[in-house]
Amino acid sequence: MVASIVPQFVPAFYSSMYTTALYGGLIVAFIGLIGIAMEKRDIQVLILTDIVGLAMLIVVAAVGTDLSEALILPGLVVELAEIMAISEILISREMRKKDVHTSFAPMPLNIDMEIMTTAPNFIALLLIGYGVFLSGFTGGAVAGGGIVIYVLSRKVRGLPIVVLDGVGAISGISWCLWIIGFLFFFILPQYWLLSLFLAALGLLLKVASKIGLIGILMREEYGRK
Amino acid sequence: MFNLALWVYVGLALAIFGSLATVWGPGVKDPVIRTINTEVASVGVSLILLTYNSTLALLTLIATTIIVTLILFRAISRLEEIGADV
Repeated sequence: MVASIVPQFVPAFYSSMYTTALYGGLIVAFIGLIGIAMEKRDIQVLILTDIVGLAMLIVVAAVGTDLSEALILPGLVVELAEIMAISEILISREMRKKDVHTSFAPMPLNIDMEIMTTAPNFIALLLIGYGVFLSGFTGGAVAGGGIVIYVLSRKVRGLPIVVLDGVGAISGISWCLWIIGFLFFFILPQYWLLSLFLAALGLLLKVASKIGLIGILMREEYGRK
Repeated sequence: MFNLALWVYVGLALAIFGSLATVWGPGVKDPVIRTINTEVASVGVSLILLTYNSTLALLTLIATTIIVTLILFRAISRLEEIGADV
């Protein structure tokens, strides 16, 4: 069907499966959208949005190149952020309607174990070290997980607001690093190694500090009761 | 040798079957059951990504699926605590 415009480096198997995978993705999207159209309650619609997101993934993955893999990652992260934000909006709207307050994180178990105060130092150090070694988006996620573990284990209580602002500033500056690295790729292609490392380390700091900030905010909410 | 086309077909079938189960499956009036049914479609997409050699995308999909499920469960239980219509 599309043999003339498919580049040579796409394996023959992927281009032969393209039509099938595309139609499969469209069928999934159609089913999900019908479900959204039939459903009235907000939280059910939010769950069905997940299905449409998965259909988007199939359609993008059907291309079968490195670019499609690179496009799936931001798609997943945007979907995650969207569901997080909309669920918060739903909860706060219902809270305003009924004029009642609920617990921040309904938890059936009390996770107040001894290991939560002794192990996190080592685990956080290990995760942050491995994340810095990985660098880039994945490394940022791993290092951010280490920060979240350290913060959530109640090792640091009552962080001053200056520190929160500082973590936010690190995030902003590393974003600038990433953009400078991206520009260097086009303006000065002979410094590609420098721009690669600017982008990788900028993204590492950015993602790690953002995930760490989520952990700090969650802890502050916990402490407030 | 693996038959790669078979994996894509199984993944697509699981994705379609899972989305059908999410929309019209038994007991989906309960949002918890509906959330768990989305996992079937998610496993199908994982198989497709596995066939297409998208390692990073597969790992990120698994991580975000877990986080999305946790967020949805938290939202459902908080909404039920309020007494909203879920």
